[in-house]
Amino acid sequence: MTKCDFIRDRLAEYAVGGLRGRVRARVEAHTRTCSECRAELRALERTGELLDATAPQEAPAETWEGIQERIALHPRGERRRETRGRPKLGWRPKLGWRPRWAWVMATAAVVLVLMVAVLLGPLGLGEPRLVVALEADEEMQATMEGHLSAVWAAPLSDMAALGLQMASVEENG
Amino acid sequence: MGEDRDEVRELVVRAKVACRARSGDGEAFGALYRRYQSGIYTFIRSQVREAELAADLTQDTFVRAWESLPRLRKEGAFRGWLYRIAANLVRDEVKSGRARLEVTESTLAGEDGSRLPEPAGKEGVPEEMLASEEMKEEVRRALDSLPAEQRAAVVMHHMEGMGMSEIAEAMGVRPGTVMSRLARAREALRKELSRYVEGSDDEV
Ligand SMILES: [Zn+2]
Repeated sequence: MTKCDFIRDRLAEYAVGGLRGRVRARVEAHTRTCSECRAELRALERTGELLDATAPQEAPAETWEGIQERIALHPRGERRRETRGRPKLGWRPKLGWRPRWAWVMATAAVVLVLMVAVLLGPLGLGEPRLVVALEADEEMQATMEGHLSAVWAAPLSDMAALGLQMASVEENG
Repeated sequence: MGEDRDEVRELVVRAKVACRARSGDGEAFGALYRRYQSGIYTFIRSQVREAELAADLTQDTFVRAWESLPRLRKEGAFRGWLYRIAANLVRDEVKSGRARLEVTESTLAGEDGSRLPEPAGKEGVPEEMLASEEMKEEVRRALDSLPAEQRAAVVMHHMEGMGMSEIAEAMGVRPGTVMSRLARAREALRKELSRYVEGSDDEV
């Protein structure tokens, strides 16, 4: 009986896979020959099977919505940086790729430049960057310069017109 | 149980990229959420009991995970890392006194009476045994009677399929401690559930 006691004290550890070496071998040898200890081991194992078969409870459905909202609050860059050099003529912006205000500002810049051009003539235009650089970041500036160079090369070309079109599409969309 | 480590690693890598780019692409992270939400929620619920608080802390866990994702070095260790975040939040909550550990609500079933999903049939446990609502209720009640650390280990091991070292990492203890918690829990539950687990079906 003392041998059974020794084994019984270790059966749970054996059942959870926590025994190694000689103790483990002893438990295995004993439960092969002692039907009482074997029955006890079987009960412990069935308890584990019962737990394995118990499914966890689903989190309430609103949980994910809340997470998404909070993740969206996480500063999320207004734009994806795309390294571009100075836009060449023939460069086309992708529709829907830039926030609405960008197109509005770009178009405003084009209109402004056209007004200046009309009022002062081409020679009075000066350095176009100065006109629009006030609050623009690098990328905006690049965009504006795209428009400006388009306007410079061919006022009212389709590139300049595209800027206006973009702004209205973005506004409506 | 267990998990497909490669699949998880790939999802974590994708989620990391999304987080770094701050692109708001929540697709991979959403997949990780779907995979772990029930385990995390059940674990937290097993510690704080109150359903609403458990849902809040589940949300906090995943938000914190998202924010810390760029600092996670081993993508394959995501699950243990996630449970560690949850365990830390639970600890803070208990310290702050907001979490009440002694409520008698069931750990695993909502007080709204929401049913657990049907368990996947496991060999060794007869189907009719698993189908018994009464028995499921008994299992929940028995789990409730365990000390909180043992309950945590049981949820992680049996319901999430985590190994001892993974649980140890999540709980900040040694694997040997996890083993003895699981063993003590097993002994206690075996006694509580004796009418279901004692049998002569396979006596030779
Ligand atoms: Zn014996």
